[in-house]
Amino acid sequence: MANWIPLWLHKLSSPPVFYRFAGSLRPWAITLAVLLGVIALYGGLVLAPSDYQQGNDYRIIFIHVPCAWMSLFIYGVMGVAAFIALVWRIKLAEVIAMASAPIGAAFTFITLVTGSLWGERMWGTWWTWDARLTSELVLLFLYLGVIALYHSFEDRRQGARTAAFLALIGIINVPIVHFSVNWWNTLHQGSTIRLLGPSTIATSMLWPLLTMMAATKLYYIASLFGRARVDLLTLESGKDWVRQIAQNEVRG
Amino acid sequence: MNTVASAPSLDTPAQRGAPLLEARALAFYRQDEAVFGPLDFSLTASELMLIEGDNGSGKTTLMRILTGLLRPEEGELFWRGERLTWDRCSGEVVFLGHQLGLKAELSARENLAFTIGLHGHRNQSGIEQALTQVGLSGLEDEPVRKLSAGQKKRVALARLLLVPAILWLLDEPYANLDRAGIELVDVLLEAHIAHGGSALVTSHGAVQFHGGEPQRIHLHD
Amino acid sequence: MIETRRPGLAHACAAVLRRDLTLAWRLRGDMVLPVLYALIVTSLFPFALGPENALLRRIAGGVVLVTILLAMLLAMDAMFRSDIEDGSLEQLMLAPQPLAVMLGMKILAHWLATALPLIVVAPLLAGMLHLPATVIPVLLAALLLATPLLSLLGGILVALTAGTRRSGMLLALMLLPLCVPVVIFAAGALAAAQEGLPWIAPIAWLGAALVLAVVLAPLACAAALRIALDS
Repeated sequence: MANWIPLWLHKLSSPPVFYRFAGSLRPWAITLAVLLGVIALYGGLVLAPSDYQQGNDYRIIFIHVPCAWMSLFIYGVMGVAAFIALVWRIKLAEVIAMASAPIGAAFTFITLVTGSLWGERMWGTWWTWDARLTSELVLLFLYLGVIALYHSFEDRRQGARTAAFLALIGIINVPIVHFSVNWWNTLHQGSTIRLLGPSTIATSMLWPLLTMMAATKLYYIASLFGRARVDLLTLESGKDWVRQIAQNEVRG
Repeated sequence: MNTVASAPSLDTPAQRGAPLLEARALAFYRQDEAVFGPLDFSLTASELMLIEGDNGSGKTTLMRILTGLLRPEEGELFWRGERLTWDRCSGEVVFLGHQLGLKAELSARENLAFTIGLHGHRNQSGIEQALTQVGLSGLEDEPVRKLSAGQKKRVALARLLLVPAILWLLDEPYANLDRAGIELVDVLLEAHIAHGGSALVTSHGAVQFHGGEPQRIHLHD
Repeated sequence: MIETRRPGLAHACAAVLRRDLTLAWRLRGDMVLPVLYALIVTSLFPFALGPENALLRRIAGGVVLVTILLAMLLAMDAMFRSDIEDGSLEQLMLAPQPLAVMLGMKILAHWLATALPLIVVAPLLAGMLHLPATVIPVLLAALLLATPLLSLLGGILVALTAGTRRSGMLLALMLLPLCVPVVIFAAGALAAAQEGLPWIAPIAWLGAALVLAVVLAPLACAAALRIALDS
């Protein structure tokens, strides 16, 4: 009964099919992402009440938390794609893994910057070696390593496969880093102020947060599809379907 | 330390029916441009195959695929009738490439001792003997870095004499060799073929081979 | 009928080890460089921070660890580099021996040639920064577990960069996330020992990680090499 899934996936993994599929989905994803983003920002910055302890400063979580979430989520997607790329040598999986890396790095970077901005208001310092921020920093280095390794190869497919292997090593490494950084933090008894306390979040704060999460996901899809399409065109530049697209462009 | 395993002997013919090495519709692309192929060929015991072609026609790429270092984009390779994998043919194949795999800081003797340590050796051959046979007697203990390009190549050729391999993959074995060296390669090849071995040789020049007419594959751009 | 003699695994391991150690000995000038580097870096700290004993004593453990890590990183790129350039690695991959074990031997030889001299001078480095003598055994234990771990992790990364041009910075970028846990636990053991607290737990963690790495890293290294050279 479930046979249609692999078949459907198999069809989608063919570059021209995915190119068309991504091309038709991308405008919708980007429109919806912007729309939801605006709604979430309005809900978070205007409608949600200010916190009785942190005042308006806390409002940065409406950007910080969804980005932090995306930084891990995209690493997960990259890892899965990397695994598929290495085991089944599917070109599309290589492209997805490598196109995900810069987007994930960008989200990680935003997480670090917003975390540091918040830290300045809350603790009066731009940077603390808080367990979460430190893990996030290591995650950024993991992303940068994958990107740098990918670009250091002349053959792009070979670069993609090698960087995919590094991404998989990183997947094993992330929990180890998290565990060790937590251990290190308790050892040195530093300022362990939590960015997100266990406090219950009011619904008026929750819905903008969830909406923003949806917006970032959609943005990721749109950005990923855009990048993957360009990469596919370059990788398959010798093939007929690319030639046809180029000819249509010239005529149009 | 030394275990003597029953390695396939050079004198017994390959398993009946199946050729030693067979390629079916073998092709390779780089950036989606065909480097060579599709190629079909088969090689049996006591057979020599010449792969001819100009520079850039994909000879070295084909060689690397046959060693298993590189995966073909399309097509299949069979070793004694079974699909070729990393470890199936290793130990029965010896490869001589552009890079000779010699350590410049070690002597010829040390380099060959390392080869034997990994691959094992034919019982009747010794390092001294092999080096004499390739015309390097007296230079056994010189660091390889002090040898000329042609002499280095001869050290690598001595490896062929020591390693118990049935199939020789020689990528441009004549490069850097003087007239006597070229003759040496031919003599080594003839002896190997006469003993039931096979060889694949790439070359862009003529090969003087007296042990029967070799198969030829021509690669072009 | 020609008899052939196939070497056993132990014989092949010995051949790899013997060759790499002979090479390291012939090029022993290269072996001295990381040690020299570690000495220079360590002696720069008092100049930068002032020769105040209490301060130096407090940072000594961490400084020695990080210095040795950097010195190892300096030598790491050479682990397979010359073998790739002269074609020896191809020959190793085509040998009728398990590649992972052979690479494990190469990593061991590299550790013996680069990390062991650093461990030998580690007490000297620690002494320059007034690390208490009672902590030095812990330092040595931590280094004996952490440096092979770094060599094994580094081996995987060096294998991944095998198909690229020389790139020391890339290696540093790739190694940093992997060595964070190693540094944390090694330094944690030192800090605990210096404060007179039990230090066995972090050392045990390092040991467990090393056991795991000894088994898995050579396999990963072989897989990485096959991917990186597949061009």
